Amino acid sequence: MRHRLLLDHIKRTFEDGGMQRTILDNLNLQVAEGELVAVMGPSGSGKSTFLSIAGALLEPTSGDVLLDGESITGKNKKELTDIRLRRLGFIFQSANLIPYLKVEEQLVLVAKMGGMNKSTAVRRARELLNKLGLTHRLHAYPEKLSGGERQRVAIARALMNDPAVLLADEPTASLDASRGMDVVRLLAGEAKERGKSAVMVTHDERILSLCDRVLYLEDGRLVEKQMVLR
Amino acid sequence: MYLAIREMKFAKARYSLIAIIMLLVAFLVLFVTGLAKGLAYDNAASIQNMNATHFMMEKGSNHRFTRSQLGEGDLAQAGSIVGEKNAQPVGVKMTTVTTGGAAHKLDVTLLAVRPEGWLMPSVTEGTAITSQTEGKVLVDDQLKDSGIGIGTEIFDQASGMKWIVSGFVSHESFSHSPAVFLNERDWQQLQSKSSAWKGASGTASGISYSAIAVKANKDQAKQLAAALPDTEVVTKSEAVSAIPGYKEEQGSLLMMIVFLFVISAFVLAVFFYVITIQKSSQFGILKAIGTRTAYLVRSVALQVLLLSSGSLVVSVLLVQGMKAVLPSGMPFQLDVTTLASTCGAFIAMSLVGSLFSVWQVTRIDALDAIGRTAA
Repeated sequence: MRHRLLLDHIKRTFEDGGMQRTILDNLNLQVAEGELVAVMGPSGSGKSTFLSIAGALLEPTSGDVLLDGESITGKNKKELTDIRLRRLGFIFQSANLIPYLKVEEQLVLVAKMGGMNKSTAVRRARELLNKLGLTHRLHAYPEKLSGGERQRVAIARALMNDPAVLLADEPTASLDASRGMDVVRLLAGEAKERGKSAVMVTHDERILSLCDRVLYLEDGRLVEKQMVLR
Repeated sequence: MYLAIREMKFAKARYSLIAIIMLLVAFLVLFVTGLAKGLAYDNAASIQNMNATHFMMEKGSNHRFTRSQLGEGDLAQAGSIVGEKNAQPVGVKMTTVTTGGAAHKLDVTLLAVRPEGWLMPSVTEGTAITSQTEGKVLVDDQLKDSGIGIGTEIFDQASGMKWIVSGFVSHESFSHSPAVFLNERDWQQLQSKSSAWKGASGTASGISYSAIAVKANKDQAKQLAAALPDTEVVTKSEAVSAIPGYKEEQGSLLMMIVFLFVISAFVLAVFFYVITIQKSSQFGILKAIGTRTAYLVRSVALQVLLLSSGSLVVSVLLVQGMKAVLPSGMPFQLDVTTLASTCGAFIAMSLVGSLFSVWQVTRIDALDAIGRTAA
């Protein structure tokens, strides 16, 4: 099985009031294709730092991040931007979408930046949106969409450039239980079907049953715990 | 491009408000520029129409035609250096005249030139004067509005002399007063009537002029200055700006124009600064999903360009419309080169105004997209 995302001995320290604080310490993670991994942890445990490093937004102090076996350390800013555009798909909490672009245009924008020609981009955007049940919303602005629909558009946009890895930052934070479940089910399904490695940082315990693995960030490492039975 | 145009379409109200402000500022810039050019021409038309490179004036006259006095000797010497044809005498005197029947008085400037020389403007109506004619003058056609026609007699209040209008010239004025052209013979008579002049000139017998217009290259101008130590050689533009009121008028208008440019830059800077702050999380997300900073910068610059050039196009049309309905007496002049350079400066200032926002956009960190990052 291919591991499309691999974090190898990641360490990250921050300067905090003159003191060195280690946020991530010797963190290892392998995510296979088709797998959705949930990462949990209390506030301040370093979830965002972890996601930023996995998302090529922040450089680790030491360690390596590999996408499809290729290291991204030592790349310059422009190369990293390009990696984020083509190899990674992001889904954020909220304010995910650009308010002045229609649903279809949100997807076409990233395709165009990735160098796809307009007609191919439009065709692919429609396919994706159709698959995600948003065909009737093609020409709506984000403000007219429900929270669930917005996150579905975000998932479609993340898939647009056919990335290796999907990264989601609390995608259900602003959704109610059933919509949250729907969105995560969709995310898990797309990851499986398209062979992506997906990582989701979350607080929401209701959706864990949909994930293949649940990891906890503790003392700067990811540890696997047995699901607490209730 | 993709983002810039869609955003402007989406936030129509916001962008039209700023466009209207830009339009008003641009209109004012163009209008004041046109007015400044018009006034400049109206003020100094006769001097600007003169095909001279330099003017020679008396030392200590502060470049002012009306203060300077030169004799025939100076003219002869100047002629020997630049060639007799290239040195022409000019007489300038500002005075008040009355017309035969009408009771009201008119301020005019008397300009004495050699009718056969290159300083004489072409006659648009009536007959020209020659060096032989006596008591005949050419006047600016602006005076038609005051009831002056061909054959009208005008009296000089100071000297009591009387002239008959023989023809008209157009766009000839000095210090905003219409010009009256006369030949040397009448100029000499005028001088002999004003006894005070004679005393001052010291050369009672000879004729005196206000200045000598010359066509000279740089070397010749230097030679002139060296050969005639009692005179100063001033360039045409120096002579023009020394016309009473010219510098003050142009200076204050120029200040207004410069302020308007600065205001337009600041209005845009503030607008885009606020909008950029408002959108910083959006820019963060765009950067996180792989948008290059250069793309975002281009998008801001394009919006500024669209706003400023759009408002310029509308204001140019407005100014042209305004020009058509302005009364003919209103000095307004906006030629294509001035228009183009003003528009260019306006767009350049707008781009300068957007630099601040561009700098801000480059500073926005993609990390902002992910909730609370560092520690």
